[in-house]
Amino acid sequence: MNDFDEQLREILPRLRRFALSLTREQSSADDLVQATLERALTRLESKRPEGDLRAWLFAILYRRFVDQHRSARRYTRMLELFGRGREDDVQPSTERSVLAQHSLGAFERLSGEQRALLLAVSVEGLSYKEVAMMFDVPIGTVMSRLSRARQALRDLSEGEVTKPRLRILK
Amino acid sequence: MINLPPNDHDFNAWLDDRLPPTDRQRLDAWLGQNPDQARRLRAQLHDAQQLRAAMSGALTPPPNPVLDPTAIRQQLHQRRRQSLARAAGLAVAVALGSLGGWQLRGWQSVTPAPMGDALQAYRLFAQQGMLPADLQVADRGTLQGWLDRWFSAAQRLPDLRQAGFEPVAARLLSTEQGAAAMVVYQNADGQKVSFYIRPPGPNHKMLPPGSRQDGELQAAYWSGPGFNYAVVSPAGPMAQTVLNQLHSSF
Repeated sequence: MNDFDEQLREILPRLRRFALSLTREQSSADDLVQATLERALTRLESKRPEGDLRAWLFAILYRRFVDQHRSARRYTRMLELFGRGREDDVQPSTERSVLAQHSLGAFERLSGEQRALLLAVSVEGLSYKEVAMMFDVPIGTVMSRLSRARQALRDLSEGEVTKPRLRILK
Repeated sequence: MINLPPNDHDFNAWLDDRLPPTDRQRLDAWLGQNPDQARRLRAQLHDAQQLRAAMSGALTPPPNPVLDPTAIRQQLHQRRRQSLARAAGLAVAVALGSLGGWQLRGWQSVTPAPMGDALQAYRLFAQQGMLPADLQVADRGTLQGWLDRWFSAAQRLPDLRQAGFEPVAARLLSTEQGAAAMVVYQNADGQKVSFYIRPPGPNHKMLPPGSRQDGELQAAYWSGPGFNYAVVSPAGPMAQTVLNQLHSSF
């Protein structure tokens, strides 16, 4: 058990970084990590598949993020129905976003899925098979989405150099 | 061996340095002849390197003790204990319910008279106060709402206000025929009358309307939509007033 805790402790900084790249805001990132660890510790005996512990934790965290995002969007839509709130409300402001503060502006503007993909593959070096399991899609789909994410990052990076960032005026 | 022209997988594997050496050479040679694609891949390679560099140093948040696995284990443990305590509380309530039900069952088997369980429930609940109420209110609407949750198609609570009685408490009980409910009415003198309701049981034994005295208690009983009913009150002139009121209430 303590051995497992030790492994978790080792992965923790990476897990927090992954969460941060998704939520772009420290406190909700840590909430996400906490929920992930709780799930990992309660499901340990029964559900943990063979293989890389990090890939398994990333998968739990990503699914949780998607679920939260979905309900946040439902909530925003509900607020919109009552004439309050906008889609932007579920996104942290530029000032609060950790990514924007660290020359990751182009990366920040990718979709959550694209950020997760690029982080898992380019930064964490997870295998394509592990990433496919994480997103619950076939490897072929991972490949085409990865290509699109890379091209999107390229386009956004070029845009960042050549033209000022467009902002929606409220 | 990869096929040419390369596909998404080959480009990605080239960027992530996951191609076997021979495939890598083959793709490098192809890129030599396709400068646009080569430019594109080199730019994407640069993006990935930039991303790794930015991520490696900058995104290291200060330690958060809440996220330590030991702390999380403790928290989970505590939460489990709390829910266990809640579940135990619930189990006590259920056990009380079944104890009452079990006693009712015993009494019922020696009392073949109709709705004997209603009389015993009255003794247990209204007279001896042995069973705590599930619900205590001064508001008739709340009690009706509570009853509807369990017996939605049943008759409405009888209105006994003309006889001086207001519903004050309710309790669910388990009987051989299924879940039963008793609503206790009380008048200004603290006398109690009960309205008892339960399923007719597997044989769908419906009762012709009737009334009988059992010791110091008087019971009126009948069958209505889907259920058997009884109203129990102390025997005597008050019982008659209640019965008259009951008949005019339906």
